[in-house]
Amino acid sequence: MKITKSFERALWVFHVNTGSCNGCDIEIIDALTPRHDVERFGIRLVGTPRHADVLLITGPVTKQMEEPLKRIYAQTPDPKAVIVVGSCGITGGVFYESYNLVGPVNEVLPKDAYIVYVPGCPPRPEAIIHGVMKAWMVLESLEGKKL
Amino acid sequence: MFGTLETGYGYWSPIIWVITIIVIGIIIYIIWWLGEPTYKKGTEQTKPFLAGMPELSKEAVTVRADNVYWGFKEALKHYYRPMINSHSGVINDYICWFVVVLAIVFIIIWGML
Repeated sequence: MKITKSFERALWVFHVNTGSCNGCDIEIIDALTPRHDVERFGIRLVGTPRHADVLLITGPVTKQMEEPLKRIYAQTPDPKAVIVVGSCGITGGVFYESYNLVGPVNEVLPKDAYIVYVPGCPPRPEAIIHGVMKAWMVLESLEGKKL
Repeated sequence: MFGTLETGYGYWSPIIWVITIIVIGIIIYIIWWLGEPTYKKGTEQTKPFLAGMPELSKEAVTVRADNVYWGFKEALKHYYRPMINSHSGVINDYICWFVVVLAIVFIIIWGML
């Protein structure tokens, strides 16, 4: 496989909480702590989607977070990938059919969004790191297509 | 015209300034050239990130001169409220007020005579 340009730089991730119970968020922090330390691979969290390659989304999408999530996705530069961490963002999880939910993440984002799912309640840090690597592969393929 | 001016305390040379400006311009161009070129102009990608919230108009987020008088207006609101309500902007109302006040004045004057 030809090494593309994005391998030359770090993978920057923007974390969005769309209504999570914070269980998945704690596991994401765990992936950043010295035990796992994903920053040694060049993976780091950034403070704005305008600097991000990947959106890391936790939780089901509440009515309050529907428009901000759409806007944040639109503000992320192309090519971009999305990682949905936890069962809630995939199916609604324990909040399934709650009155204040819009739905899982894939029903809110555009249909052409590239989404990597990391199931679990919450998923282990190793699973989150695996999901980030999958998203990195998605970005590599998009980089190759020059989207 | 382009020579070095000795002031006694230092010197002034327009050539050095021109060279400095050119060097600064080159540095600015290099920084711009290294920037992310894939942003799509005219989309959300070039708008400021405000935690996902929409960007409000400048009028909605700035302190107006009118806000300086908030305490004054709050203290005199019982006076201002009927005054504002009576100013409907309809000329017929104002003529009506004029006729009523004029009639009262005439009645008072007639009573004094």
